[in-house]
Amino acid sequence: MRSVTSGGRRFGPAPGHLFVSGYVVLLVAFGIGPALYALYLAFTTNMGYWAGIDNFTKTFADFRFLPAVGHVAAYLVLWLVSLTVLVVTLALVVHSVRNRVAGSALRFLYYIPGALAGASSVLLWLFVLDPSVSPVAWLLSAFDLQTFNQVIAPGNLPLIFTVIAFWTGAGSWIVVLYGALNTIPHEVIEAARMDGASALTTALRVQLPMLRKWIAYMLILSLAGGTQLFVEPQLVSQASFGVVGTDYSVNQLAYLYAFNQNDFNGSAALSIILLIFSVACAALFVARGRLFDVD
Amino acid sequence: MSTKALTGALLTLFALFFTIPILWLLLASSKSPAELIDSSPYAPGSLGSLTDNWNSLIAFQDGAVLTWLGNSVKYALMALVLTMVVSIPAGYALALMSFAGRRLLLIVTLVVMLMPATALVLPTFLELSYVDLINTSWSVVLPFSFFPFGVYLTYIYFGTAVPRELLEAARLDGCSEAGTFWRVALPLAKPVVALVAFFSFTNNWNNFFLPYVMLPVSDAYPMQVGLTQMLASTPTFNPVVGANAEVQPPTLVLATLLSVAPVLIVFLFSQRFLVAGMTAGATKS
Amino acid sequence: MSPKKVFIALAALLTISACGQPVGNGKTTDDAGANSPYGFTTAAQKDGELLVWVDSTRLDAAKAYQAAHPDAKLDIVTYDGNANGSNTLKTKVQLFDKAKAGWPDVAFTTDNNTAAWASQPSSGFTAPLNKGYLDQATLDGFAKGALDPCTVDGTVYCLRNDLAHVVLWYNKKLLDQFGYTVPATWEEYTALGARVAAEHPGYIIGTAGDAWAPEVYMWGSECPANQVTGAKAITVKATDAKCARAASMLDTLIANKTMSTLSLFGADFAKTQGDKVLMLPGPNWYGGAVFQGTIKTPAGEIGVAPALKWADQPAPVTGNVGGGAWWVSSHSEHLDAAKDFVTWVTTNDAYQAELAPGYPAYSAAAVKWLAKQQASGYWAGDIGAPITAAAGAVWPGWGAPEFSPESVWAKTVIPGMTAGKTVTSLLPDWQKAIEQEAQVFGYTVTK
Repeated sequence: MRSVTSGGRRFGPAPGHLFVSGYVVLLVAFGIGPALYALYLAFTTNMGYWAGIDNFTKTFADFRFLPAVGHVAAYLVLWLVSLTVLVVTLALVVHSVRNRVAGSALRFLYYIPGALAGASSVLLWLFVLDPSVSPVAWLLSAFDLQTFNQVIAPGNLPLIFTVIAFWTGAGSWIVVLYGALNTIPHEVIEAARMDGASALTTALRVQLPMLRKWIAYMLILSLAGGTQLFVEPQLVSQASFGVVGTDYSVNQLAYLYAFNQNDFNGSAALSIILLIFSVACAALFVARGRLFDVD
Repeated sequence: MSTKALTGALLTLFALFFTIPILWLLLASSKSPAELIDSSPYAPGSLGSLTDNWNSLIAFQDGAVLTWLGNSVKYALMALVLTMVVSIPAGYALALMSFAGRRLLLIVTLVVMLMPATALVLPTFLELSYVDLINTSWSVVLPFSFFPFGVYLTYIYFGTAVPRELLEAARLDGCSEAGTFWRVALPLAKPVVALVAFFSFTNNWNNFFLPYVMLPVSDAYPMQVGLTQMLASTPTFNPVVGANAEVQPPTLVLATLLSVAPVLIVFLFSQRFLVAGMTAGATKS
Repeated sequence: MSPKKVFIALAALLTISACGQPVGNGKTTDDAGANSPYGFTTAAQKDGELLVWVDSTRLDAAKAYQAAHPDAKLDIVTYDGNANGSNTLKTKVQLFDKAKAGWPDVAFTTDNNTAAWASQPSSGFTAPLNKGYLDQATLDGFAKGALDPCTVDGTVYCLRNDLAHVVLWYNKKLLDQFGYTVPATWEEYTALGARVAAEHPGYIIGTAGDAWAPEVYMWGSECPANQVTGAKAITVKATDAKCARAASMLDTLIANKTMSTLSLFGADFAKTQGDKVLMLPGPNWYGGAVFQGTIKTPAGEIGVAPALKWADQPAPVTGNVGGGAWWVSSHSEHLDAAKDFVTWVTTNDAYQAELAPGYPAYSAAAVKWLAKQQASGYWAGDIGAPITAAAGAVWPGWGAPEFSPESVWAKTVIPGMTAGKTVTSLLPDWQKAIEQEAQVFGYTVTK
């Protein structure tokens, strides 16, 4: 481990410990502590006895489990791919705009929807996706979607949630990646240009590798957000009078277990499954993005 | 030449994608319920209808909307202060200081960021109910202040954009650890401080699930939870409320607009600083 | 300030984790109230504010109570009323059960699924009302069958606020103009549909695009898809002939386009079919909510006919679409105040006859409510007799289990209909989905 590099002052707590102390307290209280308690719940019965993997087999056998996993997986694939491809492309393109005013105006326009996360954005999209009031009704009818119920047909939902998430989330990532692109010294880009590299080659060979850490970071956070899909289907369910079930996503299912079936143990088991999946994917991104390398 | 046209088209297309719904939101809030359905989506309503919508919004449960907005501001600002005090030093230390457990702390932070919200909310609820904080501001402010995302952002920023040599130099000049952080690192970190502050504010402002569970009393709701209560009082989305329902769709649209206005305003004033700040950080390296 | 509280929270957390106290909360063993005359273990009674949860529509009820009782100490909280299967009350009560504090003294809900879970020993949130707490005379004043959704194994757990039984709404002006007579049976209704399709295409005689289509059509057809036979037992026969006849009627009418598949309260409906409604089988609250509220039919056009019956039924039976209820918490420390409150809001004319938007479940108030409606001059003809007649005709064979069979319909049948499948072909899916949902909640399912 690299933590022993600055030898000589290793008596008692290092100054670093003081710097992280506040955070560690919160981390234990609202991160690790609750997580351990969830772990405890996942392996016990509601009377507090050891349950082994019963809670897990029970949730696996639930008829709602596999569909929910399928929904979330379809959404995640669409969401992560579109995010990576489009956000990186847009950040590079916006960065290449020479006109300062146009560039900052574009960043601003792209970012605005970021202000509408959560319930607000879903509420807005409920209107936008309703052909009778939608500003893009012509587009919906081009896909032969005449009523709200046709728009929210089960097959369309992963795409719809991707569009909503992209609409609210992409702008802030474009701003972040744009900022990261700015940290690439001018000389490096100029040198590539001098060598006769086209804008595209510069982007692929020089800028993209420098963005690697940020892209990995973006993917991890988007993955975390994506696996926790909750507010979107929940509100769509409410607005469609239940045509979209309240058990659409895994997280909703965990919520139903806890608050509808009074089965906090099953709920915890589901959460642990989600967590294992998320951590596995995140580990992949960390490794690919070399996120832990400081130098 | 064609590449230029292509990028132009791409940028315009996405500009439309990002702005049309916002534009619609602004227009729709000035329409009467009938106009919302009958008139063109791009036609503006009237000032009269906007006033009507505003009045019925304010009349909803005797001005509950203003209470909710006030709550949102209170929770988001309290959490913002705590988050900054806690997260920036932590991110700095993780990136640039050596101490036992650094790598472990990084990994744990990452893992916790991935924890599904529902898994954490129940234990957090039990914890806070044990210390009698349920239905107080602290029950949302304290969990809000735990912001691993911000710590990570700070960590990455210090790890990539601030040269270690600069800090070594400061230490050699006799600065204490705290002094180095306060006098050298923090001024360099203005952009990331702004980013973390901004993301923390936006996140907390938009958080729905936690306050929904922690605050059983409607007077204590933040705006986002209040919005869903309005959704449930709109006959289009909940027919059971009957004909005399207090909320018509344009009123709901106006409430949505109101719920995002503060974040929009904060962004309007800070966006220059946010992006310019990141550039400034770069030129120093 | 905050760090201190954080440390307290941290310490508390460790305590909780270490003890690992068993969850699942029975009745409190507070023996002070174990022998109360109310038939449940009561909490120690105290003075203080009565905590009342209402939805935004029933806020008027609480305010009316306050106005009539200036000295009463009320803390009124609004929530979504459990609408559309949001399960807010259930969620919060389960959190309070774990925290062992925080329950509202009185709560209003718009769904009929609360008794099934809140009466269970695992929660025990709702207080039994007919074991000595409320006077039998009060309970007897409610319409026949009104308290069925409140009743589990003979114990009444709630007071119904309003009834939502189904009648046949029709546009008298249009019917006269077209020369049609109001049908009395579903068979006549279906036949009239065919004539409308041929002679006046575009006009509709019903809608089936909402989650309560099964309550209007299946329930009225005595379809045995949802027979709750015990606290945790249900009989599901969704492909029974009585379900099939309603399904096939829907298919016929949907095919000839006289049955709308749009959602009644969606913007589409008011825009495209609002002025095309010839007839509409639906609950009594459609009068205000649909005709006056959503599609704004001019006064003097809408009339009410008795609920439709199938030819082999001796008299009409109808379904029930919603209808709210008031619940008292068994944990309440203000039981006397709670009793006075729920009795007043459900039975007193000052609210039920004057202000309530739906047909009161309390018979005496219902008479006055109807008289007030009639006096408004909006209706074409007498609406009182058919609505009153239908109030006692709700078929008792459709139960109120812990889950909502309507949301199962919404999830399985409506998307299929939207994709162009027939209701008949979707009945087996509906059957399977109800069975699965019932099993999730621990019901024993009989097919």
